[in-house]
Amino acid sequence: MREQLRRLWRQIFWAWTPNSDREASEAIVKNLWLHWFPAKIARASMDWNYSFWLGTASASLLLILTVTGVMLMFFYVPSTERAYGSIKDLEYAVSFGRILRNQHRWSAEGMVAVVFIHMARVFFTGAYRGSRSINWLVGIALLLGTLLLSFTGYLLPWDQLAFWAITVGTSIAKEAPVVGASVQYILLGGHEIGQQTLLRFYVLHVFFLPIFVWILFGYHMWRVRKDGGLAALEPMRIARMMRPKETPRTKSYSFFGITPGTSVAVMSSTGLEEEDQVFSSPNLTRRLTLVFLAVFNVTLAAALMFNAPLEGPANPSVTPNPAKAPWYFVWLQELVASTTIRIGPISVSGGFIGGILVPGFLLLLITFWPWFDRSPLKAEGVWFPPERRRQNYTFIGAMVVIVALIFVGVYLRGPYWRIYWPGQARPEMPRLY
Amino acid sequence: MAEPRESYEAKDFGWMVAMSIVLLVLVGISYWREFDTEWGKYQDEFPTVLSHFGRGDDVKAFRPGIRQIWIPKIGVTDRCITCHLGYEWSSVLPASIAEPLTPHSMNPWLAKHEFAKFGCTPCHGGDGWATTVVGGHEGGKGWEDPMLSNKLAAENGLTRGEMMQMRCNFCHRHDVATPGMDEINIAKALFKKKKCIMCHVVEGNGGVTGPELTYEGDKNPELVDFAHVTGPKTFFNWNVQHLKAAETVTPGSQMPDFNMPPDQARAMTLLLLSWRRLSYPPEYIPDPTVAAAAMAAIATPSASPSPTPAAAAH
Amino acid sequence: MEDDRKARPANPDPERRKVLRMLGKGSVLAAFLAQIGAAGRAFFPNVLYEPPSRFKLKRPSDYPEGYTFDSAKRLFIVRKADSFHTISAICTHLGCTVQWKAVEFDCPCHGSRFRPDGTVIGGPAPRPLSWWQTAVSPDGFIEIDTSTEVAIGTELIAKTGKA
Repeated sequence: MREQLRRLWRQIFWAWTPNSDREASEAIVKNLWLHWFPAKIARASMDWNYSFWLGTASASLLLILTVTGVMLMFFYVPSTERAYGSIKDLEYAVSFGRILRNQHRWSAEGMVAVVFIHMARVFFTGAYRGSRSINWLVGIALLLGTLLLSFTGYLLPWDQLAFWAITVGTSIAKEAPVVGASVQYILLGGHEIGQQTLLRFYVLHVFFLPIFVWILFGYHMWRVRKDGGLAALEPMRIARMMRPKETPRTKSYSFFGITPGTSVAVMSSTGLEEEDQVFSSPNLTRRLTLVFLAVFNVTLAAALMFNAPLEGPANPSVTPNPAKAPWYFVWLQELVASTTIRIGPISVSGGFIGGILVPGFLLLLITFWPWFDRSPLKAEGVWFPPERRRQNYTFIGAMVVIVALIFVGVYLRGPYWRIYWPGQARPEMPRLY
Repeated sequence: MAEPRESYEAKDFGWMVAMSIVLLVLVGISYWREFDTEWGKYQDEFPTVLSHFGRGDDVKAFRPGIRQIWIPKIGVTDRCITCHLGYEWSSVLPASIAEPLTPHSMNPWLAKHEFAKFGCTPCHGGDGWATTVVGGHEGGKGWEDPMLSNKLAAENGLTRGEMMQMRCNFCHRHDVATPGMDEINIAKALFKKKKCIMCHVVEGNGGVTGPELTYEGDKNPELVDFAHVTGPKTFFNWNVQHLKAAETVTPGSQMPDFNMPPDQARAMTLLLLSWRRLSYPPEYIPDPTVAAAAMAAIATPSASPSPTPAAAAH
Repeated sequence: MEDDRKARPANPDPERRKVLRMLGKGSVLAAFLAQIGAAGRAFFPNVLYEPPSRFKLKRPSDYPEGYTFDSAKRLFIVRKADSFHTISAICTHLGCTVQWKAVEFDCPCHGSRFRPDGTVIGGPAPRPLSWWQTAVSPDGFIEIDTSTEVAIGTELIAKTGKA
């Protein structure tokens, strides 16, 4: 009875144990969904404390966002007249609609955070060297794709928040030298935010950007394997190379029968010893399911606890006071609001400096960082190695500044973008009656 | 030295079972949320009320669910009736039934403002899309048009009926006077008497000493200065104070101090705030001559001994 | 294998083939790029469903003294006796609508402040608020062109008789 129950649980939760090694590897290799994983995975990669499974969490969020997003597409109307009403319908009239929208919203914000922390993890462990630098670039493109998805999704409810965040966002694009005005024109589909803008952002949000992110995600995964798995394995490989060579004793078949001696030693794809590895099925597959379940639970719990914001319908003639960007863009808003430079009669807009120059510089810096990193090889795949201390402190410094700016923007800024300290009374905004 | 293979299995397996149970619980909660609605409780109650008043057949016909009055040409999607189920039952249910099942009072003007033609929010305000008490009455964050409740009216020194006349005048702005709109009628008479039009443009006519007032009700409350206003920080209150003593509220204002008593100032404010942009089709805009005739009928009681204002009005 | 290869007719003119191959590849590439260009061009609308940049407002005599905000057009008509000018309400920083506060313009988005003539007092705004070209149309209305900026201080003198 007990054994039967145990088997039932295992069946339900797909926690089956293959009966043989062959079955275990075939479960991966012959499966459409799993064949892009290696048949065996290093124990070091299974460690919770190296990768924190942030990439898997990001991918889980992407999957959740795609499914909830496709669901939302059935209810959302990308028209300036009906968009706001269709969001209200989701909130109040569609069965489970509010949870659906909430989960999409919180997953989106979660994905921005998790993708960024994933990048930070890769940076702190120096896991972007050699052939992995290509995947670092792909990762940066994925981060940008995530941010663009958030930005385009932000306009769709067509409420005050959306309308003015997009006004500010596209005005930043306008500050780009030479092409700025054209970029704004093509984004808005005109000179002002209108039906064309909504439709463009909608198609970008539900088609082009998801396709872009999914394809890059596939490539990202494929490269992880081609680059030899997680960088956590590099110290093991180095250790293995250092170890005195003990040539494996094998039998060779020759025309004269069995010859003692050595033949070509076949390295396994991960280049690791047998005892350092476990079969991907069920170890990796179960772990992936577990991470997905955990992420799904977190987003669903958030969706049940907090409602996605929705303000009054878009009103082009009244700017909300203050008009704040979502938290992950607030640091940029802080920058654009405080980086205008005036020297005599010449002034350079903060929209250009804080909106384009500073983030552009940060982006270029982070993009080409792998080629600036001159730390020794043994610093790869290890958390906070002493050889990379300065680099990591630089990165942490930049992160602290960004988080501080986000904090200021989200919690301290009040009407007319003035600073109000905690406890300090904010002016009451006038109501109609 | 390396972890035994079994260790992943045991730990991950345990966590997976835990996560799966959490998932089931969360999905359970989402179902509970879906079926445990605010409006569901009222809809459970309503059939009991109906049968109590001998409408057993109607109980059989009663189908629970979200209800809405949808009038696309005036942009109305009003789900208020999902909870306010008794709204059209005034012939059967007594007015003493507690909200939200209370029938709509059979006031005289209801005859010409059918539910099916106007819905709820054009007269009452609020967020018609919402199906929750707070969401529908107050609207969410940034919702500028809350329902005109007794409480809200009292905060502005008025009764709800008086406050609602502001909304009547969205459409009735061209009536000289309208039966049942006493506050607005007083204000319209005052507007004429005080010769406001000497200094303010309204719909293309008037002097240019002061700002145009045609769409005063649409004005962003942030645009006026509250530095010299006492009391609540509302555009309503600003107008009341400004009408009492313009110089004090807006230093340097050329507007004379009308020294309006509070009730007149409030009536004037209702009129000013009623001037909003409206995109109703022509059949919704009342003919001022009808209201004029109705007012005349009330003024000469001999012509119609017991006039019901609205019956005469249209 | 060898036989198969021999069975194929020998390339009579390798040079010619090379040129033709180049021509073929080049044509496809050029056509592809041109198609991308065509697709890209389609995204720049040739007609716009938005109000024209040149439009008429009311007659000069219809404006009171001081600052009159037109919320639909996002601009201020400023009248002083018979002289008029039009100041844009669009903040030069990132496009929010500024508010006239009796002695200055304030922007709710990032706290830019402007003097009554639109020049910057403080905040992130890089430029003064635009002064739009303002004229009186032949039929006597104030006509504004928001595609043409004029120098600060450019006034339109319109005799209205009453002021």
